[in-house]
Amino acid sequence: MARQEKKKDVVIVGLGWTGAIAGIELAQDGLEIVALERGPDQSTVPNFKYPNQIDELKYGVRLKMMQKLSQQTVTVRRNEDETARPYRKLGSFLPGNGVGGAGTHWNGLNWRPMPEELKLKSYVIENWGEDIIAEDMTIGDYPVSYDELEPYFTQFEKVAGISGYAGNLNGEIREGGNPFEGWRSEDFPMPPLPRTWDSQKFHDACIASGYHPFPAPAGIASTAYVNPYGMQMGPCNFCGFCERYGCYQYSKSSPQTTILDALKRKPNFSYRTHCEVLRVEMAEDGKTATGVTYFDEEAQEEVFQPADLVILSSYQLNNVHLMLVSGIGEPYNPATGKGVTGKNYAYQMNGGISMFFEDDNFNPFVGHGANGTCIDDFAINQIDFGEEGFIGGAYWRSGTFNGQPIRNMPLPKGTPAWGAGWKEGIGRWYGHAMSIGSHGSNLAYANNYLDLDPNYTDRHGRPLMRMTFDWHDNDLRMNQFMKSKMEPLAKSMNPDIMQVGFKGPGAHYDVRPYQTTHNTGGHIMSETPQEGVVNRYCQAWDKHNVFVMGAGNFVQNTQYNPTGLLGGLAYWTVQAIRTQYLPNPRPLV
Amino acid sequence: MTDIPGLPSRRSFLKGSAAGVALSALATSASAEKAEAPVSLEDYKREFLNDAEWAFVMAATARLIPSEGDGPGAIEARVPVFIDRQLAGDYGSAEDWYMEGPHDASASPQLGWQTPLTPAEVYRQAIPAFDAWCSKTHGDVFAGLAASQQDEALTALQNGDVELQPEVRDFFSILLANTKEGYFADPMYGGNHGMQSWVYIGFPGARAAFREWPERHNIKYPLGPVSISGERA
Amino acid sequence: MKTFLRILAGLVVVGVIALLAFVFVPVKRSAPTQNLAADWQPEEGQGQYVMYAGDCVACHTAEGGEPLAGGRPIESPMGTIWSTNITPDPKTGIGGWSLDDFRAAMVDGLMPDGTHLYPAMPYENFRFMSEADIRALYDYLMNGVEPEENRVQATQLAFPFNQRWGLRAWNWMALSHEAGFKPLGASEMQDRGQYLVEGAGHCAACHSPRNELMMQDGVTASQKTFLAGGVIDGWEAPALYGPNSTIAGWSVEETANYLATGRNAHSAANGEMALVVEHSLQHLTDADNLAIAAFLKGKDAETTEVAGVMKAMPQPEADAAGEETAAMLTEASPDMPLGPRLYLDNCSGCHFVTGKGAPEIFPELENNPMVVSAEVGPLISVILNGAEVPSTEKRPMKLVMQGYAERLDDAEVAELVNFLRSSWGNDAAAIAAEDVAKVRAAQSTH
Repeated sequence: MARQEKKKDVVIVGLGWTGAIAGIELAQDGLEIVALERGPDQSTVPNFKYPNQIDELKYGVRLKMMQKLSQQTVTVRRNEDETARPYRKLGSFLPGNGVGGAGTHWNGLNWRPMPEELKLKSYVIENWGEDIIAEDMTIGDYPVSYDELEPYFTQFEKVAGISGYAGNLNGEIREGGNPFEGWRSEDFPMPPLPRTWDSQKFHDACIASGYHPFPAPAGIASTAYVNPYGMQMGPCNFCGFCERYGCYQYSKSSPQTTILDALKRKPNFSYRTHCEVLRVEMAEDGKTATGVTYFDEEAQEEVFQPADLVILSSYQLNNVHLMLVSGIGEPYNPATGKGVTGKNYAYQMNGGISMFFEDDNFNPFVGHGANGTCIDDFAINQIDFGEEGFIGGAYWRSGTFNGQPIRNMPLPKGTPAWGAGWKEGIGRWYGHAMSIGSHGSNLAYANNYLDLDPNYTDRHGRPLMRMTFDWHDNDLRMNQFMKSKMEPLAKSMNPDIMQVGFKGPGAHYDVRPYQTTHNTGGHIMSETPQEGVVNRYCQAWDKHNVFVMGAGNFVQNTQYNPTGLLGGLAYWTVQAIRTQYLPNPRPLV
Repeated sequence: MTDIPGLPSRRSFLKGSAAGVALSALATSASAEKAEAPVSLEDYKREFLNDAEWAFVMAATARLIPSEGDGPGAIEARVPVFIDRQLAGDYGSAEDWYMEGPHDASASPQLGWQTPLTPAEVYRQAIPAFDAWCSKTHGDVFAGLAASQQDEALTALQNGDVELQPEVRDFFSILLANTKEGYFADPMYGGNHGMQSWVYIGFPGARAAFREWPERHNIKYPLGPVSISGERA
Repeated sequence: MKTFLRILAGLVVVGVIALLAFVFVPVKRSAPTQNLAADWQPEEGQGQYVMYAGDCVACHTAEGGEPLAGGRPIESPMGTIWSTNITPDPKTGIGGWSLDDFRAAMVDGLMPDGTHLYPAMPYENFRFMSEADIRALYDYLMNGVEPEENRVQATQLAFPFNQRWGLRAWNWMALSHEAGFKPLGASEMQDRGQYLVEGAGHCAACHSPRNELMMQDGVTASQKTFLAGGVIDGWEAPALYGPNSTIAGWSVEETANYLATGRNAHSAANGEMALVVEHSLQHLTDADNLAIAAFLKGKDAETTEVAGVMKAMPQPEADAAGEETAAMLTEASPDMPLGPRLYLDNCSGCHFVTGKGAPEIFPELENNPMVVSAEVGPLISVILNGAEVPSTEKRPMKLVMQGYAERLDDAEVAELVNFLRSSWGNDAAAIAAEDVAKVRAAQSTH
């Protein structure tokens, strides 16, 4: 029998971005809260401290900040005919671990969705009719609109300390910003960061081509900053060890720089590390959760933590897994289309072009995770889906992230992978390459989903979660469209050599190269319990005291990185809990 | 004295020694004052690789990143030391990876690592297999071949022309990846000796402070690297 | 030799005493400085607030002990003095003390039996507190604090310092100012600040120099040496007032930010000052911290809020004094000397080539008193062991700088320190690797 801990009002599962938000907001109401985090405790000093953090091998290659797959992983197959095999070694996506979650080592590209993306299905039908939605495409509308979420996007951006320049300030389109973005009630909390040489070249080329370049919205401080909680950031110095690393400089938006020390002062909040939650436990009648059972690594035993309110904020993959093993929502069945948990898993469709300029010095090591100039001229709301034959869009970005040589060594095609030719190549080309990336949407399909694997278990004997996922033509066509648009622009920049990399027809999902850690869906929001797992307040339809955070709520993925949206949703959710649920606990819809 | 098969050939020993000399010369230069001349590759006390494996890794990395031409080779950078230590450590034992069965080593490569073997075990099993292939095809173990034959053999390995069990099919790409890691990682891991690879390509290492640089457009960053432990070059 | 010196000192003390016996100064308790009505009652919370202002907790609480139950060792050149239990426990605390007894301790350094307290208790400063505050504090200590039974280790100094009557002469010289507060009258705000600084805040205990007899030299604002800078435990407590004030370049608001949060656009509080911020000043009202700042700066504050939130603070550029250094560092020429090279390799990420740091988070190194102080220990220690500003209500982030003990050897730290002390217009004496070795051997700063 598991040890039992003292009952709490709230238990938060996972203390990453959304868990930290839930903690600090709910703590205002004096509730007794405990957060359970599977990984270690982490603070800027000592965990991200200089110079120890500046270690490409340890963090960039061996990925020591990430989830240990030996502790928890998924299995992957591309279709139902394949046997799913475990994701044994990190590659395609890198889930976070430890206090701060992936919020400690993300890039900081902090986007809001386009208003159209939140009502994608209606937008498509209104403009082009039902027919262009393919049979197996399971896209939908979010049960909440951009206008409703706008205050919460703003709140998250203030807390997270985002740098940028508003392109649409209360409807006014401002030159130098993104003219195609949704409206903003206020400008960014901090001005944009300076432009590196590659961004500048891209910027100039875009202007020449009539596009609308703007600085990437960055969870990276451009100045010293104090956020609404009194938490602080220092100006980023383009250290070039940003994504995959904790920031030694207090410059990256993260739970550490924006929430945690303020949260730790709250006497009614506590957190426990090295506690992996295994199950949400249910009341007899199955209508509510009674708390969670977790594994205490120190004591090496299972512990039951009773609580009146359960917040799942353990990242999309872990949330869905927990819901599957705990019986929250009916598991999705692709054969019948029935069931909801695990449905609409989606990812991100990216491509890009590398360009070599022998006479330019890009100093690639001068950069940060959200550096760059972007254009949204090929965004979802700028494309004629009927005309182009796909639904979707992408934003483009150019700017140095890092110049770490093990992983970041673009060489012209034809350069040998080893031997004298390779060595000559790296001497010649390091620092003389730049790239433009396209970061595009990935829609929801009936046969991209998550369920429990029949063959593999984790160390607690729970089945691993199985990911069935492959690329679909719609998104590959979108990608090829981007290629067709990007090539002329790149050519206009006159590179000595240029190299194009966009997945095309027939491409299959490959788990080996890193793509993004933008895993979405699986416990999606919906208007009705038949369509999704949680309602518009991210409250589980069938367990009213379980609220779920993160990108698992996404009905389908957007063309953007997810955190701006899921951060806003988190504030939206805690606001609903504080104002509607706590006074009268019940299903809010 | 003729070369003993499976042991480092005289030539690779010479390489080791030449490197030793090059390195100790470097160690006295003004900017690398913290780097002490390390033990020579011959005297290096190995943590994982056995004699035959060491001979192979010395020889193979010496071809993957040769010493000729500008910039350090794998031997000068002490990449074999790096590989030996990595294999002895938690990378070699796949500490962080999910290694439970069942294993289908023949699964689609796109499904990633599926061999039941850890990286260290891949080396342990692949090297004799590849050496056997070299003996059969070229008449001697890899370390005993001439450089041009070695290049041929590596190319065959890279192209899948060497018959290997599926469990070790990715040996070449692992070896190449580890070689480049050892070439570019911080010197504290045993390779990138004297930060020579960083100096060669112009990477400033563990400085990580460039606030004044983003807008210094198209100016080559002039300052040499610093390592985590504070070595300068 | 110690014995020899002790005996000499003993003779001197005895001589002074004989003189006094001759002149005959009877020991008298000072009278209350205000006549309050007998039924005067402090406002809700006033007593606790005075307690915060006086930082009683800092000295009267042992490591890990109950607040105010005493037992903290205070090191002094004369030996260890143990702070006492001031909870209202009748047996081991001050439960049996009358208000007059309490006032005598606060104002005259006298115990109920007429013996003298050691001046480790800052009655040199508390004597300027108002009768109302003393009564409020008395009321709080008697009624707002739980009695804790805790018999504190008796202070036992070596002869002659264990002769408490010897303090009579000391007090006669040290307590030369009358009890009670004398405002300068600059403005209401500045007078309030002066009151807090001279009295409860006992800033002079560290920030004023001390004379040969270890007396505070400058206890009131009317003295030239008031807050002219002191040294405590190897740390410089910089000059805060008068011509050499190190905070001349700070605005009133910035000064108040420092007091309330231990950090501001220029500097960060470390060592003893970090404790003063943590235990005392962060608990004061914005108005009071602004008042202290206004008094120190001789200028009323123009705002009522301290350490506001939601601010993006632009990066300061190098100023005239710092330009040359900043330009040299920006060039990053490979043949620069070792000092600047070490700065680029280790420090510029946070303190920047400008030496200006970043507001409220990375302190300025240009003209930073710790950087240019004659007391080089703290600077070296920060480099070796790092430093930490505590979490405060208004700035909850623990602000930590990592240490470089593992990355830099003694010679390198010395080079770096000498660079810091001679750049951006800084002009302080050079140090040697041995100085670093000494600090390395001692303990860390946090």
